[in-house]
Order: sequence, then C-alpha cells, then structure tokens
Amino acid sequence: MEEQHIASAFDRDLEAIQARIMKMGGLVEAAIVDAARALETSDEDLALEVRARDQVIDDMEEQINVEAARLIAIRSPAASDLRLVLSVMKIAANLERIGDYAKNMAKRTVVLAQGPSVQDCTSALRRMAREVERMLKDALDAYIQRDVALAADIIVRDRDVDQMYNALFRQLLTFMMEDPRNITPCMHLHFIAKNTERMGDHVTSIAEQVIYLVTGEKPDEARIKGDVTSTTIQEI
Amino acid sequence: MSNHSLSKHRGSLLTQSSNTKKRNAAETRFKAYGMAAIAFSFLMLAILVTTIFSKGMGAFQQTFITLEVELLEKKLDKKGNRTLADLKKISTFGYAPLIKSAVGSKVEELSINTALKPKQLLGILSKGAAAQLRDFVIANPDRIGETIQFRFLTSSRVDGYLKGRVTRESIKNDKSISPEQLDLVDLFITAGVIEKTFNIDFIIGADASDQRPEAAGMGVAMLGSLSMMLVVLALALPIGVGASIYLEEFAPKNWISDIIEVNISNLAAVPSIVFGILGLAVFINYMHLPMSAPLVGGLVLTLMTLPTIIISTRAALSAVPPSIRDAALGIGASRMQAVFHHVLPLAAPGILTGTILGLAQALGETAPLLLIGMVGFIASNAPDSLASGLMSPNSAMPAQIYEWAKRADPAFYERAWGGIILLLIFLVTMNAVAVILRRRFERRW
Amino acid sequence: MDAQDIKIKASNVQVHYGDTHAVKDVTVRITDNTVTAFIGPSGCGKSTFLRCLNRMNDTIQTCRVKGEILLDGEDIYDKRVDPVQLRAKVGMVFQKPNPFPKSIYDNVAYGPRIHGMFNHKSELDDIVEKALRRAAIWAEVKDRLAAPGTSLSGGQQQRLCIARAVATEPEVLLMDEPCSALDPIATAQVEELIDELRQRFSVVIVTHSMQQAARVSQKTAFFHLGELVEFGETGQIFTNPEDPRTESYITGRIG
Repeated sequence: MEEQHIASAFDRDLEAIQARIMKMGGLVEAAIVDAARALETSDEDLALEVRARDQVIDDMEEQINVEAARLIAIRSPAASDLRLVLSVMKIAANLERIGDYAKNMAKRTVVLAQGPSVQDCTSALRRMAREVERMLKDALDAYIQRDVALAADIIVRDRDVDQMYNALFRQLLTFMMEDPRNITPCMHLHFIAKNTERMGDHVTSIAEQVIYLVTGEKPDEARIKGDVTSTTIQEI
Repeated sequence: MSNHSLSKHRGSLLTQSSNTKKRNAAETRFKAYGMAAIAFSFLMLAILVTTIFSKGMGAFQQTFITLEVELLEKKLDKKGNRTLADLKKISTFGYAPLIKSAVGSKVEELSINTALKPKQLLGILSKGAAAQLRDFVIANPDRIGETIQFRFLTSSRVDGYLKGRVTRESIKNDKSISPEQLDLVDLFITAGVIEKTFNIDFIIGADASDQRPEAAGMGVAMLGSLSMMLVVLALALPIGVGASIYLEEFAPKNWISDIIEVNISNLAAVPSIVFGILGLAVFINYMHLPMSAPLVGGLVLTLMTLPTIIISTRAALSAVPPSIRDAALGIGASRMQAVFHHVLPLAAPGILTGTILGLAQALGETAPLLLIGMVGFIASNAPDSLASGLMSPNSAMPAQIYEWAKRADPAFYERAWGGIILLLIFLVTMNAVAVILRRRFERRW
Repeated sequence: MDAQDIKIKASNVQVHYGDTHAVKDVTVRITDNTVTAFIGPSGCGKSTFLRCLNRMNDTIQTCRVKGEILLDGEDIYDKRVDPVQLRAKVGMVFQKPNPFPKSIYDNVAYGPRIHGMFNHKSELDDIVEKALRRAAIWAEVKDRLAAPGTSLSGGQQQRLCIARAVATEPEVLLMDEPCSALDPIATAQVEELIDELRQRFSVVIVTHSMQQAARVSQKTAFFHLGELVEFGETGQIFTNPEDPRTESYITGRIG
C-alpha cells in the first residue's frame, strides 16, 4: 500500500515496528556470520560475544511483541495492516529462533575448540551458514520491498541448504564410523549442521510470511523437503 | 498590556488585556440595553393595565335608587279584570306618574325641602325606570294595588356624579341635570336611598340605546362572540388541520405546492378588512345569509384564521421527527396510519396552541365585523337557542366596544373601557387554556 | 447450519435521486439466516440500497429505482406489490432508536395491531412477550410494560425497536446503522442480539463501524461511490480483500 493512513500516527507505528524488525534481522545476520567464523577459526572470544549478543535479540523480540500487541489493541488493523502486524510477530519469532541457533553454534564452538578438530567439516559448515545468512538477508529485503518473486526464490534455495546438510550428515557419519574418538566433535558438528538447516527453515518461514503479507495467501504447494536424513540409512 | 511577540508567555491572567476590557464593556452595554428594553416594555404594560382598570372598573358598578311604588289600580287597570291585553295598552307614559309620586313620597318621608318639580324629580332616574315597572306589572298582574319596593337605575348623570365623573362645575351647560337635583341626590345618598353597587347587568345584559348608557351591558355581545368562535372552531380547525396534513404529509412537492405555500403565507398577512368585504360580497350579497348574523361573522373570521391555523399546524407537523414516520412505515403502517396514529398526536399540542391563538386573534377582530353589520345595539335580548344565536343579528365584543367608544355620552366611554376588561379576561383565559393544553399534551420524543 | 438459500436477489439495481446517481448497477445475493453487512464511506449508497429492499425510498419523491429486486423470487417493485405488505415482511430498524412516545407494550403491539395478527388480547400479550424476549429485553422491562418507551436508555430503546420490528414476524430484517447512537455496552448487546436473530431471519445491516461489520456479519458488501465494489465472506474481506479500494477503506487510508 503506497497510500498513507488517515491517522498518520498509525503509519509511524507501522514504520517503527518494521524498522525494529529490520534491525533485529541485521543483528541475527551478524550473529550467524560471526558464529560461523568463530567455528571455523576456533575463535572462543568471538563465540562468547555471539552468545552474549543473543540476549539483545531476545529482548528485541519481546519489544516487537509488545509493540504489535499495542498496535492491535489501539489501531484494530485490518486487511494488509493486519497481515503486516501478524507477519511482524511471526518474523520476530523466526528471527529469535535463528538467533538461538546461532548462539547454540557459538556454545558448541567453545566445546569443539577444546578437542581435536575434524578436518574439512568446519568450512563446509561455514559455507552452509553463509548461504543461510544470504537467504536471511534476501528474505528481509524481500520483506521490505514486498518482493514476492524474491521470497519464492528463497523457498527454493532452502533446498540447497538441505542438500548441504544431507552431505554433511553422511560425511559426519563416515567420520564417526572411521574413528570412535571422532564421535564427540562430530556429534557437536552434526548439531551445528542440523541447527543451521533449521535456520534455513525459519528463513523459509519468513519468506512465506512475505508472500502472505503481500498476497494474503500462504504459498499453497507443499514445500519440497530437501532434508532426507530422517530416512537415511548409512550402510556399514 | 499588548504583547504581540511570539513568546510563549502571553501576560498574566490576573490583569485584563485592553482587548478583553473592550469586549467585556461591550457585553455589559448590550446586557444593559436589553434590560432597559424589557424595563420599558414592563412600564408600558403597567401603564396600559392601570389605565384600563382605572377607567374601566367603574363600568362594573352602577348607581341604583330604591323606591316604594304603589301600583295604583285606577291607573294601571281601570277595568279591574287584569287581562293582559288591557294591561299592555298602558304605555310607559302611564307608569311615569307612579314613579313621580313614589319619588315625591320619598322626599316627603325624608322631610326634604326641595324646589324641584315632579318632572325634575323623575330626571334623576333612568329613562328605563318606567319600562322596568311596566315589565313587572305585565309579568305579575295580580300584584296591582300593592306597594312594592323597586330598585331603579339612576340616570347616567347621577351615576357619573357618584363615580366622580360628573361635578357641579361640569354640568353648567348640561340640560339633563341641574345642581338642585344633585343636592337631592346628596340627601338621598345620606339617607341610603341611592347607592352604588356591583352591576351584574353589565356582564350579562344587552346593549341599550344611546339615551340610556346606565342600562348598557356586554352579555349579548359576549354570546355573539362565543357563537362566532364556535363557528370558527367548527370550521377552521378541521379544514385547517386537514389541509395542513395533506400539504405536509401527502402532497407532492413541486411548483404547485410551492405556490400554495407562498399564498397561504400571504393570506396570513392580508388585512382583516379585506376578509370583511369578501364576507359582505360573498356571504351576504351573493349567498343571502342574514346580515349581522354571528354565522356570517364566524365564516369571515374562519377565512381569516385558516392561514394562521394552517401555518402553525404545518410547523407542528414538520417538527415531529421523521424518525417517527420511518418507524411506523418500517413496521408496515400505511402513510395514513403513520400520520394519524403517531404524527398527529405528537403535533397536537402545537396544533392546539396555534388554533387557540388563531381564535384569540379572531376574537379581538373588529374591522371585518363592521363591514358585515355586526355593530352595537342590534340585539336587545339574549338569543334563546343555538340557531337563533347563530342566525339572528348580534354584535361581538370588540365591535360593541367600538360602538360604545364612538357614542357621545361619557358614560359609554366608561363602558367601553369596562368592555375591554371583559375582552382581555376572555383572551387571557383562552391563552391560559392554550398553555394548559400544551403542557398536558406535550410529550417528549 | 446455515441454509444457504437465496432470500433476496438484487440484479442491476440503479437508484437516482433527482440528478444524483446514488446506486450504480448493484447486483447482490442475500442468503437466508445470514447477517449481511453493507459497509462503505458516507454517501456511498449503502443506506439507499438498503432502503430499496423494503421500498422505504418510495416516500422520497425524487427517488427512482431501476433494476430488479426479487424477494423469494417475487419482484418487489412489481406494480401489484403493495409496499405496506412488503414492509410487514421486510422489517426495518433505524439508526436512531425511535420508539413511539407510547408505552413499551404499545410500541411492540403496534405492528401486530395494524396487521391484525391476533384474535384475542391474550394472544397479543403472547406476541409482545415473545418479541421482547427475542430482543433480549424482556427481563428488563417485564415489570414496567406500561412505562413509556422513551423512558428507557438508548440501548434498551434500540432493543425495543428491534422487538417492535420482530413482533410483526418479518422474514428479513434491515438495520440501518442500528448502533451508531449507542454506547459500547449497548452496542455489544445489540450485536449479540443480531447474531441470535440470524437463526430466524435474514439480517442486512448497514454500519459505519467496520469492526462491527466484522463482528456480526458472515457476508460483507463494500460500497463506494454508489458501486458495489466487493462482496464476499466477511473473513475474506477483512483479512485479504481483492479490490484495492476495499483495502484502502478498511485499513483506514485515503482512497
């Protein structure tokens, strides 16, 4: 909607809450990037910083929820305004979960740094995290531009992330079978991979919110799940 | 203090700015003008009411003389057979000697020395005294021969003397009364023979000839006015209300109804004398209704009152909120049901007030009545039925007052004022009824 | 539970007031046992169209109605149709509570009386009680049926007006902004009542309050400049309207 509301304060409120979402999105992007770099470089300080910063993200989600509740109570938004407020709340929840996963990654980074490193995996994880971060950035762009095509593209790109996770899953299983001493780091790495894959799902959810916000409809075709690990059997 | 800068501080509230002072002074002046206007109108009203009452109250009192009259049989009924036909042969001239001797014997009884001749003695009595005596005898032939006490009206000069209107100075050129007669009156007053009492005949009696102002009354003219009001009420109310309902609720709104509306408003402003001449031309000359009849007067006044009633009724109808009509129509009432069940009852107080004010206006109207001959001294007796009340010649209160006011004798002038008091009482009563009805029927919606 | 029978079928309705084209080519299907809300900015023709449905516009001289409005398949603008009979079938409740300045009882009894709907006084008593119960006001007024209707509070007056409309057993109930003069509590009571009335009648309500339309109606029609812009399920209209004009209106934008 290009037009202004008759109540200009309503416009200002809506802008404010969206600005807050963008800021929160920026923090979450940074958390993903930093957590991935900390993992790759075994930078414990950076990992600790990522963990600390998650509190800010959690607080922002809380603020956004309060703001959205206030908006609903005072403005009784309808149609696109209603969808905007609903999507803001959902996106905030998604971002908060992504932030939690980044924090979890940072936590495991600290543990991994104590033990032997598992070769090759960290850079693959970083690539995966990098892709999720890019998807998130695009999702937030799509949100602010109301770009349905870009949002639909993100949903497709989530399959790549799933593929990367599938590959990592097999690789980690192989490592664990080769040497039982690898089990501890590999389990941690697997959780990191799984969490990154979950981040992708949340980004996808954000993209879906964008589509709902603009069209008023949920993308109807069932999303093709790229994650096949729940049915994967590794031959010994 | 005039601080026109854009600073936030605009001066203390405790000191008035010059602007405020000017405004307040203007307001005070305006209030003073208003109060002065009201005080002035109250003063005028007070003067008016005082004048009317001081000049008119005298009409409600009348001077009477009490005499014992011997009804001599040899004068009144020479044959002694008491037949009505024979009694009626004796005219009032035949009764005058009886009264003369009654006055004479009263003078003797009180051992008054007077140089007045018997004829002059008679002069202090009303010219109607002999007629009063004759009427009594014809009504009671069996009492001939007895000596009976009568209360006769005194002449208007004597009445005026008692009321202070007539003095010894003012009668220098008056042939009707002499100072000697007044001396006798003085003696009679001290003896209690002549006294001034409340005069019911002024309120219920008929008009009298211009020789006998002391006998003139308003009663028959009041009946005339009342009959006209009945005619106006019976015609103007249903016609006026019916026309208003049609115009307001049913008539299509177009140029025809606009023209009708403008014309009704114009009719309300037409001088009443125009209606009078219309009545003369149409009702009397063309339709040959009787002259001077209250029916004709009522018809003329109906024409005059209709615009007033229509305008006030339409105002009352349009003041009923349209939501009431909608409510009735929305339930499935027809237009007529909506109007008669809901709109009309709500408009009733307004309609009644308008009607009564229209009637009051008609009641005070004089000019058209003069044109159709409803002037004074037309009916000497009160009508005996509604039909004769409507059809036989009569006067109306304002026309009667006008008639009296233009007669020469100052005694009539006093009666004109008295008539105005009666008329005002009538009007105030009608307005009071209007107010009461309004209070009673008024409903909030 | 809703029988989705079509109760009123309006096709290509045009209304002119003198030179003003107030309603332009409106086609709408109003289903039975449904609350249909008409929303739109002032002067959009929604009230005018509503008043076409029971021919209340007949009282306005300059008003001309074209097109076809079928009530149960019968054209209500047919020459043979008496509008008074029609209005007994299609009742109306107005914006301002407008009880007659009579007793509560007489207010409700007026419709049955003029339509001769009873043979005996006791039957009329029953009709009045039933109508007042249905309008959810019986408990408040049962002890003072002789009190004037105007002595009630605004919300009670409006429910009394609804009772009065219901008493004539209409098939369709038209409501022209019935809550605009009421406080929120009274509004809530009337809205609750409207929802109950839906069991028996087809209710068409014109409202300025979009929230009210959203709360009480199943179908919503959006009018703009005399046109029916959008008509559909209320939920759909309020979360995802199809027409940008609807969107602008219900989100409170200049449009």
